Amino acid sequence: MTRSMRAVGGLVAIALALGAFSSGVSADGGRLVIASTQVPRHLNGAVQSGIATAMPSTQIFASPLRYDENWDPQPYLAKSWEVSGDGMKVTLNLVRNALFHDGKPVRAADVAFSIRTVRDNHPFKTMFEPVASIDTPDDHTVVINLDRPHPALLLALSPALAPVLPEHVFGDGDDPKTHPANSAPIGSGPFMLEEFTPGEAVVLKKNPNFFIEDRPRLDEIIIRIIKDPSALLIAMEKGEADMYPFMAGSQEIRRLEKVERLAVTDQGYAAVGPISWLAFNTRSPKLSDVRVRQAIAYAVDRDFIVKALHRGVSKAQRGPIIESSPFFDPSIPAYDVDLDRARSLLADAGFADGMALTVDYIPGPKEQQQTVAEYLKSQLKKVGIDITVRAAPDFPTWSKRISNHDFELTMDVVFNWGDPVIGVHRTYLSTNIVKGVIWSNTQQYANERVDELLNQAAVETDPAKRKRLYAEFQRIVAGDLPIYWINAMPYHTAYDKRLVNPPVGIWGAMHPLDRLEWPEG
Amino acid sequence: MDESAQSPAAEAWIAFCHNIPALAGLLILLGIVALTLYGTLFYAGDAYEIVWAPHEKPLTESDFPLGTDYLGRDIVAGLIAGGGPTLAVGLCAALLTMVIGIAFGALAGYYGGWVDIVLMRITEFFQVLPALLFAMVLVTLFSPSLVTIAIAIGVVSWPQTARLTRAEFLKIKELEYVTAARAIGTRDRRIIWKVILPNAAPPLIVSATLTVGVAILFEAGISFLGLGDPNTMSWGLMIGMNREYILDAWWPVTFPGLAIFLTVFSVSLLGDGINDAFNPRLRER
Repeated sequence: MTRSMRAVGGLVAIALALGAFSSGVSADGGRLVIASTQVPRHLNGAVQSGIATAMPSTQIFASPLRYDENWDPQPYLAKSWEVSGDGMKVTLNLVRNALFHDGKPVRAADVAFSIRTVRDNHPFKTMFEPVASIDTPDDHTVVINLDRPHPALLLALSPALAPVLPEHVFGDGDDPKTHPANSAPIGSGPFMLEEFTPGEAVVLKKNPNFFIEDRPRLDEIIIRIIKDPSALLIAMEKGEADMYPFMAGSQEIRRLEKVERLAVTDQGYAAVGPISWLAFNTRSPKLSDVRVRQAIAYAVDRDFIVKALHRGVSKAQRGPIIESSPFFDPSIPAYDVDLDRARSLLADAGFADGMALTVDYIPGPKEQQQTVAEYLKSQLKKVGIDITVRAAPDFPTWSKRISNHDFELTMDVVFNWGDPVIGVHRTYLSTNIVKGVIWSNTQQYANERVDELLNQAAVETDPAKRKRLYAEFQRIVAGDLPIYWINAMPYHTAYDKRLVNPPVGIWGAMHPLDRLEWPEG
Repeated sequence: MDESAQSPAAEAWIAFCHNIPALAGLLILLGIVALTLYGTLFYAGDAYEIVWAPHEKPLTESDFPLGTDYLGRDIVAGLIAGGGPTLAVGLCAALLTMVIGIAFGALAGYYGGWVDIVLMRITEFFQVLPALLFAMVLVTLFSPSLVTIAIAIGVVSWPQTARLTRAEFLKIKELEYVTAARAIGTRDRRIIWKVILPNAAPPLIVSATLTVGVAILFEAGISFLGLGDPNTMSWGLMIGMNREYILDAWWPVTFPGLAIFLTVFSVSLLGDGINDAFNPRLRER
């Protein structure tokens, strides 16, 4: 028996290696093959951020809430929820029929355990930091007590950020970050893990006991990891894969757009909010003068980068909050290219004879990073700034330089992660200037009013007032310019046109794909 | 002067001049060197300056005969500016290769015994490493710049020269004039440098010439893989930077590629010509 199973396993492995999974319509729910370049270390999104883990994690684990296309929370494991008037208490009423994949019921204690696990282990500390305690008056009620109002809490209860773990598996005392079950997780989501071959594939099977009736629609999801982008494109063109999320290269996008069978969309990344920007080290003597930073902003042609370098697939981005977010304030200055103004600002700052600066970039795909850095070298020469491009051979080298503040200018990509509290504050709070931590306030930007506004916005429960606080914040940083924002990273999803309900919500494919289905017949 | 009394070098030069392909190689190479050194006199242009819309096709009515690259920089200016560094990397790497290779090969071949064994094992160690990968590791360890690239290429390509030198030394050290030199008490160092090395020179010169070509290709390969020095224009870097757009625009990749091809081709012809010129048996044909 063991031998035959091994033989079957071998066949599966061979079939995977050959990409022989025929995808598409079948008599039952059918199979969906997702192609991805991202390699997950494990599948537990409670202790690991990032796209690679979130995609399978959101299929395996359910979460208290989910979000629709309009940023409105929807019931998931919580069939209803109340936020107390003072914003200090959030009550979740759980569904009664949810089971983990091993047949045990999902209890309030599991939800409480999961929130504590995320709070203590996930890299995004701000998500659940204000959670003081969690009460579970009965098996289906969770009361989250906060030590200050925390409007970002509801978004942090999304599938990508707050997977509900079974306490009877993960609560055995092992360190959650290295728990053996992270690679063989049991959740209550629409799909169960069938097989996880690190670096190659994640095979997910329909959860027949999923607590939402008639879902999921698909029988099987296979996430095939193809690290070589050109091999991945060929797999998409040949129909060996049905969906390719998080595609950002203009050549890739243009190539798959030409494939008749496929649809390509940039919808589904609103909550990710990936912003590509040029960061200034505001403590560097040459860049501490705001006029120098503004001069650089006036010298750089954002339009050229978006249209010529990115072949028109990117969208311009001129502020710290992604332009597709409801908190974005469109009234902030764009710094449209104006070379004369740039020159006079430089002259005012005492650099009439020009200056020399270095620019770093993240090694890897060039289009959003190295190419822009090389453009800066050519473009800033026009206003007398002599740029030296500092190449980093690998990501750790770059990350070490930037996090230790050993840079003048650098290209960077930082994600908003839905609520500004999670992904935006970290870049601008002076209290988050932490040497050695990448994607902290590495610009070392400090403005008391900004700190004040952000701390107020973090606890402001009235959405309209909160929006006003963020509007003032955006106007200040757009003037101080610790960062010159360039564009939203052009993430696109390519998928088979026949698919019904493709993942175009705010979380894209980092969201349960239980409604996704092949058409009948 | 009597014809029969010509020096070997002069004889070789005459033979070389009768070798049409070799002469052509020399002329092409001289032309390329002249263009990179004096090109700016005829064609003013800054290789880094954005002068036009990106991806302007070659031979249009614009002022840029070979078009522009992905940033709108002039490709001709890039070729002129990139030639010097490309050739310099090739020459420096070849020089380094010769220095290390001859030192190892000469000592191993001349002394034999345990010196030979130790030096040859070291050589073999470097020989079995995949050269391009090893060069990439070196460039990665010491941040990418033209100097590190030249050193990396030199460090990975000397074993062949070492083996060649050793073979020549093994052969020549048994010849009578070497025995004679030893008999009159010439010191080892003098025998190695003044007696054997000049007589082993012809194949080494050929090898050095070919190494220049290989080193230029290496530099292109490293730049193509994204480890080039972005602050110094070179042909390899031009290919590496523009390759992402090759489906949209072929010319920013093709012309530096052609330049590399022509250079390596002419260097190879030259190397073959030198080989033929120094080889008396071939010369008689």
